Formats: sequence, structure tokens, C-alpha cells
Amino acid sequence: MRASGKLRLYIVIGRKVPTEKEPKPVPYRMRIFATDTVTAKSRFWYFIRQLKKMKKGSGEIVSCKRLYPKKPLTVKNYGVWIRYDSRSGTHNMYKEYRDLTEEGAVTQLYREMGARHRARATSIQVIKVEVVPDAKCRRPHVTQFHAKDLKFPLPHRINRSLHSPRFTTTRPLTTF
Amino acid sequence: LQHYFIQSNLRVFLSKMLYQRFIEVGRVCYIRIGDHSGKICTIVDLVDQKHLLVDGPTSGVPRCVVRLNQLAVTDLKVKIPRGCKTKKVRTELTKEDINTKFLATGLSKKAEAKKAKANLGDFDRFKLRVSKTATNRKIRSLTRQLKKSS
Repeated sequence: MRASGKLRLYIVIGRKVPTEKEPKPVPYRMRIFATDTVTAKSRFWYFIRQLKKMKKGSGEIVSCKRLYPKKPLTVKNYGVWIRYDSRSGTHNMYKEYRDLTEEGAVTQLYREMGARHRARATSIQVIKVEVVPDAKCRRPHVTQFHAKDLKFPLPHRINRSLHSPRFTTTRPLTTF
Repeated sequence: LQHYFIQSNLRVFLSKMLYQRFIEVGRVCYIRIGDHSGKICTIVDLVDQKHLLVDGPTSGVPRCVVRLNQLAVTDLKVKIPRGCKTKKVRTELTKEDINTKFLATGLSKKAEAKKAKANLGDFDRFKLRVSKTATNRKIRSLTRQLKKSS
């Protein structure tokens, strides 16, 4: 999978195709983070194959619907449990992110794993995503935002618009 | 005596903080680039080092996440609890009458002047050029006279 753009949360339900031997196969539901429904269904089959004796060829997707974010206008701490393949083995990890939605947190995760561990999206499996209350957060880069009356100045601001104007006679301002 | 002198200096230093404009909950900011550029908003919560959750119910900014880079910090501040709802933000902003207070700030005046300059027509630009030339001429002749007399 290519985790391009913002990931979305899909609820995918699939089951084996009903046969004479098994007229009412058990449907299974999974929460899949993917870029679109096509990728979501594909990832569903990837996971379900590992967990159950089910394949895309002999199965069917009952439904694949987007699960819209809950309370997308409040900042939350997300704890993400993942399993990923590195170059020399497979490891479990627990990461924390501050974001407004699960989807945003998982998107941050994929970006960070690519940056810090060179892990490609296909080698990452998201096990669980949960909202973590402030007191239970473990990572300092998240807990530093839980301080009461948190405030900080912007002492030295850098002008990133280097090309508008590209040539100028005035030195850049560091306070704006 | 020396110890007392150092202490009083420290007290003066601490009362006049080096930085006065903080990124904090309730700080009114001016959005200088992005979707809602040119409008003011209030910081409702801090997401991470580079993102803030802002809201501007009295200025037409919906509750959204903006990057720190997009903002210019003003001197204005309202007292709101962290992560509070838009309704509460609106009541506090109207109580403090932030919109008129912002119009009095230098930032707002500069932004207005910039917008006015960008909206000048050809004739207005001509008039501006003529008035500039006239003023500069007067200034130059005055300085020359002063130089000659000194």
C-alpha cells in the first residue's frame, strides 16, 4: 500500500462466499486505515488471510464504509500500537501522537515510521489506535503539551518564502 | 548594599519580560497566509510544536488547525479555558470587543495600508507618485539649505 495523502478509517466487513456446505458463513469486521476504499478492501483481505482461512477468491466484501472522525475539533492524545518489519526482523512498537482524529494520528505514524525507521507502508501493521488520557501518556513529546497554562514565545522566526521576492535589499525580519 | 542593588535589578527585569507575546490559549492571532488570511482568530488549544487549534467566530474563521507559520501574534488576549467550545469563545470575544481593539493595532493598520496600495488604480498610482516627488523635493531642498547654513 502507498500511504499517500491523509489516511481514512474504513470499516470493512467480509465473509466467505456462501456454499452448500456453509450456507451462513461468519462475517468478520475490521477497522482498516487506508487512502481509499480499494486499498481498504485489499488490506482487509491481507489481514483476514493471516487470521482466518479466507481468501479474496473465495470470499466477498459485505460492506466497506468510511468511519467518520469522532469530535474532530478537540485535540486528543492517540496511542498507536504497531507491528512492523525492519530490515533484520519484525518488532512491536507503541507510539503516541497529538492530533484531532485517529486518521490524522495514523497518517502521522506512517510518516514518522518512514522517516525514522525507513519503514514502508506495506511493512507496517496498525494493531490498535486508542485515545489516551493525559495522565496515561508516556512519551515526553506529548506530555510536554499537558502542562497547565502552557505558553511559549516565538523568539526567532524564520522567513521561509525565499522566492517572493527572490531578490531584495532588505534583511529578513525575525519578529512577525 | 550591592546585594540589594542586584536584587532590585532582577525584580525590574522579571517584571518587564523579554518576551511579551506568547503562543497560549486565548491569544488573538492574525492569519497572514493560508485559507483565512487577513482575518483574526483565537488560539483554543495547542496540538503540537507547529500546529494550533484556532477559532474565530466573530471574524469568520471556522474552528480549524493552522500552522504556527501562518500566524502573526498580536498583543490581545482573552481568558478562555483550554479546548472550550466555539460559543464560549464567541461570548468572550464580544465581551472584550476584540474586533475593534484589533483595528487599533499597528498590524491591522499596516495590513489595511497594504491592501489599499494593492487596490490602487492607475490614476491613483500617478497621484501617489506626484505627491511623493513633491514631498521629497521639499525635503531635499530643506536639507540642502540647512547644510549650507551650518
